[in-house]
Amino acid sequence: MKTPDAKRRILRSGKTLWNLADALKAGSYQAFEKALGKDTQEILEEIFLSGLRGRGGAGFPTGTKTKAVHTSNTHGCSYVVCNADEGEPGTFKDRILMEEDPHLLLEGLLIASLAVRASHAYIYIRGEYGRSIERLQTAIDEARKASWLGEGIRGSSFSLDIEIMRGAGSYLCGEELTLLESLEGKRGYPRIKPPFPAEKGLWGKPTLVNNVETLANLPYIMMHGAAAYRSLGTEASPGTKLVCISGDVKNPGVYEVEMGTPLKDIIHGPGGGSREGDEICFVLLGGAAGTFASVSQLGIPLCYDALRKEGLSLGSGAIMVFGKNASLKDILQNILGFFKHESCGKCVPCRTGTYHLMQSWIGGCTNNQGERKKLLPQLVAEARNIAQTCLCPLGQSPVMPLESAMKNIIELMD
Amino acid sequence: MSRNVSVEINGKVFSLPEKTNLLKSLRDAGFDVPGLCYHPRISPTGACRLCCIRIEGLRGISMACTLEVKEGMKMITTDEELENLRRVNLEYLLSEHKDEEDRSTFDELAELARQYGLDKPENRSLPNICDALDFPSDHSSPVLTYDGNKCIKCFRCVKACAEIQGKEVLSMASRGITSYIVAGFGVWGDSECDGCGECIQLCPTAAIVEKPHRSEIDVYNSEKAVRTTCPYCGVGCQLELWVNNNKIVRASGTEGLMPNDGRLCVKGRFGYEYVGHPDRLTQPLIRKNGKLEPAGWDEAIALVASRFGIIRDTYGKDALAGYASAKATNEDNYIFQKFIRMVFGNNNVDYCTRLCHASTVTAMIRSIGDGAGSNSIADFESADCLFVTGNNIIETHPITATYVKRGAAKGQAIIVVDPRYTPLVRYAKVWLQPKLGTDVALLNGLIHVIIREGWIDQTFIENRIEDGMQAFLGLKELVSRYDPAETERITGVPARLIEEAARIFGSAKNAIIATGMGMSQQVTGTHNVFSLINMMLITGQVGREGAGINPPRGQNNVQGATDVGCSPMMYPGYIPISDKENRRRVAALWNTDVEKLDGRPGLTTVEIVHAAHEGNIRGLYIMGENPMMSDPNLNHTREAFEKLDFLVVQDIFLTETAQLADVVLPATAFAEKNGTTVSSDRRILRTRKAVLPPGEGRQDWQIILAIAAAMKSDIGHYSDEAAIFDELAKAAPIMGGVSHARLENEELQWPCPTPDHPGTPTLYLDRFNTPSGKARLFPVDHAEQNEKTSTEFPFLLNTGRILYHYHTSTMSRKSEVLNAFANEAFVLIHPADAFKRSLLSGQKIRIYNDRGSIEAIVKTDEGVLEGELFMPFHFTESRVNMLTRDELDPFSKIAPFKLSAVNIEKVTS
Ligand SMILES: Cc1cc2nc3c(=O)[nH]c(=O)nc-3n(C[C@H](O)[C@H](O)[C@H](O)COP(=O)(O)O)c2cc1C
Ligand code: SF4
Ligand code: SF4
Ligand code: SF4
Ligand code: FES
Repeated sequence: MKTPDAKRRILRSGKTLWNLADALKAGSYQAFEKALGKDTQEILEEIFLSGLRGRGGAGFPTGTKTKAVHTSNTHGCSYVVCNADEGEPGTFKDRILMEEDPHLLLEGLLIASLAVRASHAYIYIRGEYGRSIERLQTAIDEARKASWLGEGIRGSSFSLDIEIMRGAGSYLCGEELTLLESLEGKRGYPRIKPPFPAEKGLWGKPTLVNNVETLANLPYIMMHGAAAYRSLGTEASPGTKLVCISGDVKNPGVYEVEMGTPLKDIIHGPGGGSREGDEICFVLLGGAAGTFASVSQLGIPLCYDALRKEGLSLGSGAIMVFGKNASLKDILQNILGFFKHESCGKCVPCRTGTYHLMQSWIGGCTNNQGERKKLLPQLVAEARNIAQTCLCPLGQSPVMPLESAMKNIIELMD
Repeated sequence: MSRNVSVEINGKVFSLPEKTNLLKSLRDAGFDVPGLCYHPRISPTGACRLCCIRIEGLRGISMACTLEVKEGMKMITTDEELENLRRVNLEYLLSEHKDEEDRSTFDELAELARQYGLDKPENRSLPNICDALDFPSDHSSPVLTYDGNKCIKCFRCVKACAEIQGKEVLSMASRGITSYIVAGFGVWGDSECDGCGECIQLCPTAAIVEKPHRSEIDVYNSEKAVRTTCPYCGVGCQLELWVNNNKIVRASGTEGLMPNDGRLCVKGRFGYEYVGHPDRLTQPLIRKNGKLEPAGWDEAIALVASRFGIIRDTYGKDALAGYASAKATNEDNYIFQKFIRMVFGNNNVDYCTRLCHASTVTAMIRSIGDGAGSNSIADFESADCLFVTGNNIIETHPITATYVKRGAAKGQAIIVVDPRYTPLVRYAKVWLQPKLGTDVALLNGLIHVIIREGWIDQTFIENRIEDGMQAFLGLKELVSRYDPAETERITGVPARLIEEAARIFGSAKNAIIATGMGMSQQVTGTHNVFSLINMMLITGQVGREGAGINPPRGQNNVQGATDVGCSPMMYPGYIPISDKENRRRVAALWNTDVEKLDGRPGLTTVEIVHAAHEGNIRGLYIMGENPMMSDPNLNHTREAFEKLDFLVVQDIFLTETAQLADVVLPATAFAEKNGTTVSSDRRILRTRKAVLPPGEGRQDWQIILAIAAAMKSDIGHYSDEAAIFDELAKAAPIMGGVSHARLENEELQWPCPTPDHPGTPTLYLDRFNTPSGKARLFPVDHAEQNEKTSTEFPFLLNTGRILYHYHTSTMSRKSEVLNAFANEAFVLIHPADAFKRSLLSGQKIRIYNDRGSIEAIVKTDEGVLEGELFMPFHFTESRVNMLTRDELDPFSKIAPFKLSAVNIEKVTS
C-alpha cells in the first residue's frame, strides 16, 4: 500500500487486523462508541456534511440516502444491507477490505444502523469470497462476544445483529433491488422502481443499501468529523477512493488515492506504469459497465464530476490498463458476451438486445477492421435504444463501453 | 372506490381514479397504449416495455403499467420517439418469436405487429433468432401445450398460476435470452398442475394453448360466446361458452364478474364435454318386457300421467313422491315442487341436499335463522382467520380456495380441522386431526379454552344472543368438562394444538368459518354444527362484515333448489308449510284452494327410500338426481326402487338410477337451458342457452307441465323462464326484488326483497333471522358413535370427493380431460396399516361390511389416521355407498357418509 498514512481514510496499517484485539489496538469501535453518545440527528448530519458518495458505482450522496431511510422509518423497523457482491469485472477492493480489516466494515455497519435505527443488518457477499466470509464471520462472532454486537450493545439501548448471506454468482444480484429480492430468498430479478429501497426495501421496510467501501468510510467521519474528512478530495468528491489497478501495469493492486488525483499519477504512481517494453494504449474505467479512456485523457482528475464531464465514469474504481498487445475487438466481444450472459431476461430490450449486440459484433469480427469501425456506431445506437426502455440499470450499461470506445479510441480498433 | 383526480394527458385534462394502475386507467379512458405483460388481474411486471410513456418530472421514459395514477400527473402517451421505442421493442420480441398463425387463440402479439406494420417479415430490421435458440416445448399436460418459440416471457402465466390461483406451479427456467417457462421440475404432465387453465386464459400469444378442439376453433370467426354459470360446484363461476355448429368448443372465465372474476377450475373449463356426448338421452324410453325401449313423447307422458294417477287413486296421494335436482335451475325446481304440491298433493319433495348439508341448514336455521352462507366469497380472502372444518375446500370448491390461498399469502391464519390431510393443510397455521366422529368434543374443547382465556365477546353475547349471559353460562357449564386433556383423550388431538387453535380463533379480528360434509354427514351432523355455531357466537364472529359461517355447497344449485321450495317442510323462500296463513298465501298465488295444500311435512330423501322399501311409497318421480350412486347403503336403495310400482327418471344420461326406471324422460343440460341458479354465497346467477338439446330432449319445466296437464291439473302457463322467475319472486320474499332483467347487469345476493334493493352481501348485520331477532346457543354434548369398529370390521371408512370428478361423475367422467387426470377408484390407507396387511400401493383390495362389498386400488397415504380409510364416491365401478349406513341424524335426517365400519382384504386375481 503506497499511500502515506496521513492520506488514508480506509486502509489501516496493521498486519492482522482481522483479530479483534489487533483491530481494537488500531482504534476499532472508538468511532462507534462516540456515535453511541450522539443523537441520531447529529450522526445523520455528520454523514451528510462529509459529502461522502456511494462507492458501489453510482456515487449517490450517502448522507441523503441515510437521511431518507431514517425519515421513512416511521414504524420502528428498518434494515441496513451491505452490498459486498463485488461483481463488476476488474473490481476487488471490497474483498481486500473484508479480508484484511473486517472490523472496519462491522463498525461502519454499526454506525449506519445506529443512524437509521436498524436492529438487523445483512452483508450480502459474493459467494466466491471464501476468505472474506470466513474472516467476517469470525469478526462477527468475536464482536458479539465482546458486546460490540448483539442485545444492548455496551450497556446502551441499541441492539444490532449482523448476518452474512452468500450470493450465488449473478452479476445482477449486486444491483440493489435485485440484491434485496435475492436476500428475501427469491429469484434474482430486479424490482420495479420506484419504490426505492429507502422507502420500501427488504421485506417492504425502509432499507439502507451501501457498498462495503462506503460503509468503511463512516468510522473516520464519526471519529474526526465531516470537516476533517473533507480535508482530502475535491469539493464535490471528498475523501479518498480505493482503486483497483489491473492489466498491463507493473504493480497491479488495490490502492487508496485521494479523490482528484489525475489518472496518470495513479497509473504511474502506485500502479508503477507500463511494463518493460510495453506502453499504455487505453484504459477501461469502472469495469464492464464502465468507459474507455484514451491516453490523452489520463490527465483528468479521478473524481465523479470531472470524469462525467468527459463522458467517463469512476464506477467502482476499477482501472484496467491496456498495452500494445490488447485487442479492442476482443475486449468488446468479451464485454458484450458478459452482458448477454448476465442479462436476467426479464425485460425485452435487454434480453434480446444484448443478444443481438453480441451476435452483430461476432458477425462484424469476421469482417475487416474498416467494417468494424463502421459497425460500432450502429451498436451504439442499438445500445441506446436498450438503455432507454430497459427495466434495470444492467440494460443501461452496454452503451457506456460502446459509446466511449467509439468516441475516444475508435482509431485503436483492430 | 378511489376518488377521481385530474391528470393531464397529451395536453388535455382528464379525471382518473386515484391510485389505480396507470396503464389500466389510460386504457379505460380510451388511450390505446400497447403492452403485453400487463393484465389487470395480476401484479405489474414491467417486462415487455411496450407501454412506455413520458411523465413530466420523471427522468427518461416511464412504463405506464408500473405506475399509479397521481393527482396532477402530466404525461405524453404517444409521440414519434415513443412510437419508435415501442416499435424497437416489438421488433425485439418478434425476433425471438416464431411467426406461425394459430387461429385457435387470440394472439395479442400478432395483433400489435399488424398495428405497427411488422407482421410482414420484410418490414423488420432484426434477424429472427428463434431457430438458433431452439426453445423447448411441452405437450405432456392433458389440457394444454406450451411452445417456447411463441413465448414472449411476459410472466403472465407464472403470475396467473401463482397470484390468481395460488398454485405456483410455473416458473421461468434458464435465464436471459434462453429463458422459457417450466411447470414443476420441467414436465408439465408430472407437475402439480391441476389443469385449471388460468395460464391459458392469460397467455397473450399462442404459447400456451388449450388442447381440446384446437383445430375446430377460429377465434376470428367464432360463431358466438355465451355467458353462463358453471354447471359443477356451488361456487357459481361465470364463464363463456364458445360455440361452433351447435357444439361447445371452449369455456373461458368471465373477467370482472363475481364470484370468480375470470378464474375457473379444471372442471369448469374442461368439463363441458358431457353436453354434446353421444351417450346423451335423445328420446323418451319406456320399459317394455323388462327392457327400456325408445318411445314417443306423447306415449311417454300419457303413460306417466296414467300410472301416477292410478297409484294416487289406489293407494292415496301419500304413495307418491319426487326428487328435485340440485343440478336443475331455480325455474325447473320451482315448477317441480309446485307439481308435487299441487298434483301429488303432498310435500314429498326433497333432493340430495338432504345428503349433504341438511344438518348444517337445520342447525343454522335454528341458531341464526338462515340456512345459507352469511358472507360473500371475497371474505374468504380478507378474513384474518379462517376456520375450515370437514371441508376439503381446495378440491371441492377450487375457486373459493383461490381466495383462501390469496388470503394465506397475505398472512391469514388458517385453522384446518379434518381427520384426513387435505391440500389446504399446506397453507394452514394449525391442523387438528380428530378421530372420526369426535367433532362435538373437539369444538367444545376449543370453546372451553376460549372461555377460560376470556376471549369471548361479552357485548355481543348480551346484545345479540337470546338470554344473553344466562345462555352463555349454560354453555360454559356444559363445556367445563372438556378441558384440553379430556378433549385430547376423546379426539386424539394434542392439547397443545387445541390451545393454539383456540388462541388463533379466539383472538382473531375477523374470522370466517367454512364447514363442509365432514361435519354435516354424520349421525351427529346437526350437533356438530350447533357446537360450531356456539363457538362463533360467543366470540362474536358473525353479524358484521367479514365474519360469519359458510357452508360451501356441493352442486351448482343445491342452494337454489331449497331456496325455491324443494323441501318437505318449506315453501319457496323458507316459508314453513305447517302454517295455515302461509298456505293461504301460496294457494292464492297458485290459484288453488288452500285446502288442497297439505300442511303435513313430507318425507325426506332417505325416508322416501325407506317408505318405498316398506311399500308405502309406490310411485317416484326423479328429476336430475342419481340416488343409485349418491344415496347411502345402495343395496338397500336398489331394493327399494325395485319395489316401486312406477319409477320415472328425467335426466340427460341413462344413469345408474335411470336404468331402474319404468320411464326415462330426456331433459336438457345446463348449456341448453335458460334460467337461474343460486351460488353458495346466495348470488343469483343466470344460466343461458348456448346450444340446442340433442334429439328430442326437452326443458325440464316443460316436461313437468306436460305431465301435470296430462293428469288434468293446471299448474300454470309460462311464456318462458323469466315468467317462471317472476312468479317465484312473488312466492319467495327473499327474491322478491329479483328478475331476469335485473340480472342482466346487476350482481344480486338474496335477500333482495324489492326491485330497488341492492341485495345483501352479508347476513345478520342488524338482526338474526329468528323470531326474536337474536341468535340462539344450543349447548351439545359429545355422544359416542353407534357405528364402532370391531374385530370383524376394524377400519373406519370416510368418503369424499376429489378435484377432477364431481358427485356421481355422470357429467365429469364424460370428459377425456378429466379422466386423463383421474379415472380410477382408490382407497387411502395409512402406511402402518398397509404394512400390517402386507399391502402395497397399486394393489387391488376388497372393502366390505354387512351392507356390501367393493373393490379399489390401494394408495398408502400418511394423510389418514391409522385405522381409518378414505375413498372418493365418484366411481360407478366401486360404489362406496354400498358400504355406508342409512341410519340418520335425528334432527336433519342426513345420512352418515363419513363413518362406516369396514374390513379389507387383498384381491388375488
Ligand atoms: C448490474 C449492477 C451490478 C451492481 N453490482 C454491485 C456490486 O457488486 N457491489 C456494489 O456495491 N454495488 C453494485 N451495484 C450498485 C448498487 O446497485 C447500488 O448502487 C449500491 O449498492 C449502492 O451503494 P453505495 O451508495 O454505497 O454505492 C450494481 C449495480 C448494477 C446496476
Ligand atoms: S435490463 Fe436486463 S438485467 Fe435488467 S431487468 Fe431487463 S433483462 Fe433483466
Ligand atoms: S393450468 Fe392452472 S395449475 Fe396448471 S400451470 Fe396453468 S395455471 Fe397453473
Ligand atoms: S407462456 Fe404465454 S403467458 Fe407465459 S410467459 Fe410465455 S407468452 Fe407469457
Ligand atoms: S405492459 Fe408495461 S411493460 Fe409490459
